[in-house]
Amino acid sequence: MEAANDGRVAVQLSSVTRHYQMGASVIRAVDDISLAISRDEFVALLGASGSGKSTLLNLIAGLDRPTSGAIVVNGRDLSAMASEELARYRRETVGMIFQSFNLVASMSLAENVELPMRFAETPKDGRAERIRQALERVHLGGRLHHRPSELSGGEQQRGAIARALVNNPTLLLADEPTGNLDSRTGNEIMELLREVNASGVTVVMVTHEQALADKYAQRAIHMADGKLVEQAEVRQ
Amino acid sequence: MKSYDLFDLASRNLRNSKLRNSLTTVGIAVGVASLVAMLSLGIGLQSMATSRIRKSGVFDIVFVTSKQDVRGMRARMQDTDEANARVLDDAARKELEQLPNVAEVTPDIHVVAEVGYGDKSRMTVVAGLPMSEGTTDAFDKLQGKFFSNNDADEAVLEEDFAKRLDPNPANLLGKEIVLRYAERQQGDAGASDSQGTGGGFSVTRKEQTLTVVGINSEEPFTGGGPGAHGQVYIPIGTAERLNMMQPFDARAMVRGDVTGKTYNMLRVRVRDSGQVEQVQNAIKKMGFAAFSVIDALNGLRRFFAIFDAFLGIFGSLALAVASLAIINTLVMAVLERRREIGIMKALGASDIDVKKLFFAEAAVMGIVGGAAGVLFGWLMGRIINFGTGLYMTRMKMAHVDVWYVPWWLIVGAIGFSVLVSLIAGLYPAARAAKLDPIQALRYE
Repeated sequence: MEAANDGRVAVQLSSVTRHYQMGASVIRAVDDISLAISRDEFVALLGASGSGKSTLLNLIAGLDRPTSGAIVVNGRDLSAMASEELARYRRETVGMIFQSFNLVASMSLAENVELPMRFAETPKDGRAERIRQALERVHLGGRLHHRPSELSGGEQQRGAIARALVNNPTLLLADEPTGNLDSRTGNEIMELLREVNASGVTVVMVTHEQALADKYAQRAIHMADGKLVEQAEVRQ
Repeated sequence: MKSYDLFDLASRNLRNSKLRNSLTTVGIAVGVASLVAMLSLGIGLQSMATSRIRKSGVFDIVFVTSKQDVRGMRARMQDTDEANARVLDDAARKELEQLPNVAEVTPDIHVVAEVGYGDKSRMTVVAGLPMSEGTTDAFDKLQGKFFSNNDADEAVLEEDFAKRLDPNPANLLGKEIVLRYAERQQGDAGASDSQGTGGGFSVTRKEQTLTVVGINSEEPFTGGGPGAHGQVYIPIGTAERLNMMQPFDARAMVRGDVTGKTYNMLRVRVRDSGQVEQVQNAIKKMGFAAFSVIDALNGLRRFFAIFDAFLGIFGSLALAVASLAIINTLVMAVLERRREIGIMKALGASDIDVKKLFFAEAAVMGIVGGAAGVLFGWLMGRIINFGTGLYMTRMKMAHVDVWYVPWWLIVGAIGFSVLVSLIAGLYPAARAAKLDPIQALRYE
């Protein structure tokens, strides 16, 4: 099932493939996928390990380029973009969170959140206020100067969400955001993602937990062997 | 990424590996110190050598001689037609005075004479000096005063000679000395017979009382050849008036040049030292031999340019080794921070941002290492100057700075250090920028 190709579409994938050459054999990590994701939609990408869901997420994030096909985000074709344009796309349009949080260990939480603003050349004057707001949004207003090692897993992931949102992206990509967390903390993070989605940000989340998809996503997309095998509306 | 963010992140990254980066920076500092040490030694020696010449006050003088040569050197070198060479006589002197940019033309007068003071008599060399010589650095340490005018019966004594007359030279100031010399008296030029004999001049012993007005410790460069080291100086006008016989007169007499006044050498003072070469060329075109200190100085400059280049190459070796340390440090940093580079790219850093960040880290090490190296090199120079000063004082010699660090060397050394660091950072920065963000994010 594809979303209509109109102004409501945030992400449009057309016959996207991503193949890797491994010696003599070709790995088809993503194999001819066409897909449309609407603005404000919360989509869960489900599948077993090696099904290609993380590769698909990296393609949408502009961290990787497709072997063939087109990926259009907000009307712009990523495959036609130069390296510099892709970097700008990542800092202006996309926010990313990871299973292992990926905060820079040598930086405080505030400095981690400031990092995307440095790349976006945000004027220095307003940064402190934006950092404070971003961290308060994820309920970490009192932990600005703590290092990641001084925070729990859930706090680190909330910090990563604050970092992903500080440049006000329209698309949030989450790669197994609860994979390293216990279920209670995982639910807290998912509630946070739902709030982010409710504020108008399109969320694409990779997970292998059907229950999370059922509870929080509007649509679940199942992948196997690099192919899209099933899509279903799961939440109204 | 803005510059302040770039250098802020670079400084933060360098602080995260304090020991390793400090050691690399110390390596750069040692390299720069070595470069500064070598070059400042060369510059110091050059400055010392050229300042000795500059102090002599002969930068604006062209020495003119006839191309006639008693030893036949020029003829052997086929430099001139000796028989037809122009004579340096009064007509030539007037012609030289007419040349553009010439301030004055004075003869070179050096004669052997006897100086009497009280019951002491000493043989010495007397030299005539123009009034313009009194403003040169050679008379900076003059005790008393320079001549009152160009025809005054006054003398300035060289300090060592003055000590031969009185152990305390200052006692001689205002006192009278007697100059005993051979006066050349013109004979009858038309008296030569059919064999070409006869004519010439006669020589008479004369005395002239002079007042000692000054004692000088430095020797002015009077331009004479061997044996021309003057110890008693008198105004050039007085020297000409006394008509003292010079060794050159014998040659002039043999050649029959006795009808008018001829000169062994004339000193042409040029208005501006920048015009010396132009005046020198004009004199050569007139058919005379001309020499200036600029010629010798150009040779000296060429020598020191080569000398400094060699010192610079040896000094740069340590910096070359330090650049390998920079490459090693930054390559290690790229390997250690692979995941961080992946995170930065995922957050929107471009390849250029990553490259710039590693360049900035190299530049910070270059700036800090360069500044520390210059400081270290400068301190070494101060210590060596101090040590040399102590040694010179013990040897009862005038203090000289053999080590000199000019401002351009400070700026240049830091700039060179940054340049070398940036070149060393090229490979690590390119390697960091090329990292695949997905691979980098997977790196544990």
